[in-house]
Amino acid sequence: MSHSDSDSVNEGTCLMDTLVNEASYSRRTDYTGNAQEQRDKRRPERPGEDGDTSRSSRRREPNPRSQEPDEEEELKYGAAHVIKLFVPVSLCLLVVVSTMNTVEFYKKKDLYLVYTPFHENSHDPGVKIWNALANAAILMGVIVLMTVILILLYKYRFYKTIHGWLILSSLILLSIFSYIYLLEVLRAYNIPFDYITLGIVMWNFGTMGLIVIHWKGPLHLQQAYLIFIAALMALIFIKYLPEWTTWVVLGVISIWDTFAVLTPKGPLRILVETAQERNEQIFPALIYSSTVIYSLMATPTAGEEDRGDNQGTVEPASPGTQAGFTSEWSEGIDSRVESRRRMIQAHSENRSAPSVSTEPPHVRIEDDEERGVKLGLGDFIFYSVLVGKASSYGDWNTTIACFVAILIGLSLTLLLLAIFKKALPALPISITFGLIFYFCTREIVQPFSDMLNTSQIFI
Amino acid sequence: MDLSKVKNNEKLELCSWYFRAGFFGLPIVWFVNAVWFFNEAFRKPVYEEQRAIKRYVIFSGIGALIWSIVIGTWVYIFQSYRVAFGEFGDSISFVIPTGVP
Repeated sequence: MSHSDSDSVNEGTCLMDTLVNEASYSRRTDYTGNAQEQRDKRRPERPGEDGDTSRSSRRREPNPRSQEPDEEEELKYGAAHVIKLFVPVSLCLLVVVSTMNTVEFYKKKDLYLVYTPFHENSHDPGVKIWNALANAAILMGVIVLMTVILILLYKYRFYKTIHGWLILSSLILLSIFSYIYLLEVLRAYNIPFDYITLGIVMWNFGTMGLIVIHWKGPLHLQQAYLIFIAALMALIFIKYLPEWTTWVVLGVISIWDTFAVLTPKGPLRILVETAQERNEQIFPALIYSSTVIYSLMATPTAGEEDRGDNQGTVEPASPGTQAGFTSEWSEGIDSRVESRRRMIQAHSENRSAPSVSTEPPHVRIEDDEERGVKLGLGDFIFYSVLVGKASSYGDWNTTIACFVAILIGLSLTLLLLAIFKKALPALPISITFGLIFYFCTREIVQPFSDMLNTSQIFI
Repeated sequence: MDLSKVKNNEKLELCSWYFRAGFFGLPIVWFVNAVWFFNEAFRKPVYEEQRAIKRYVIFSGIGALIWSIVIGTWVYIFQSYRVAFGEFGDSISFVIPTGVP
């Protein structure tokens, strides 16, 4: 148990992929370039250097013109994505918050993870802080270690090992933890249940989940399973992490996320870049994809084969289909972003395993997975941990403040994504906002409104 | 994954795979199969593999329906007569409801 828990801790999230624009430009320039070349061929005069220079100058020209509308479109397109992500994130938070408020089990502190040996039993804040910091450091160490292992495995192409790992962890979540969840929910509602039905339900639920997550299945069902898995993992963290440690871990993990995604040598970044080089998506199961656009429909067959062959040129395959952004955007950005996120998450978490599975990843990935903004499951988990933890104190003001903070952070991140066009960590902004909102509401707003209430002042 | 991007023969393969998987006591797989391929089977313009897909979809749907009736009946029996079962009822109970204190 504890293993899977720690593993799943990873967070990385890269919202988008960059290069979309660049890709589109390069394509366009290619077209213009080709035309130029043909013209050059027709004209016998100075085919050599001059032709080249004129070509390159032409290439540059179209870009500035097309750039502005492109950016606008991307922003618009991004807005749709924001909304597409709001729904799953809210659903995940809803599952966690409602469970926290109905099932006592997840509020009770009895057992703790192996990774958090200090249980904060003392009443002295100094000792508690020290315990929390030490726990968080240990937990982060585990996460970093797992991330590095994952990257190494990925880098040296131990795909089977990674898939085995991911399948195993999702299996554990879908079996043991789902079993515990079901048991506790039934207990909370005092509903009698028999072993026969239990067996059938668990077998069906678990198997369906594995098929859908790691192999092929309807997208919505896959998304539902991913959301459930993320919620379950968040509940586990809330239950098995000591009080103060949870808050420290949230802070530390968002810093780690920033570091891992943005620094040149950051593990997640390496992962994403490797995936891009190989033209693969990273373990789809670890990432939630909002798949808004299906630009590739037109070229199903041809596209497949091509992609397999030309690695590195994935984008060109689909570019013609739509005016430019959609396909490029979605494909390039999403896949890259996803891959980054996935990688990140994949390292630490073990949630869901991947569609990549044994087969050559390119083919599958490119056509099967749809393009859209991808958010790492780790992000879902830590968002839910924050809101779930806030709601565990039974204060709805705080819960709603945190919920709003998370969504604001998410939309800011998506905005930045549209501006920077590169994979971004999704945790830092949201979690920072969440923490600020939480402590402000809890320490200032709540006492204030209580005060107003008791003295019957209405503002 | 998105079915509209899948080739027809792969759709058929997938559909029949789901159908066969359902025999391992997995009514939910049948149910998903029936729902997922419903449009393919009944609402798409005719194509070669469609008849086979239609058959799989219908049989998956029937299988899922039978399963749900069986499970529904059993759950009904269990919930209504659990106490009447006496000790046997308790021994097959996963969660036994507690009284309100």
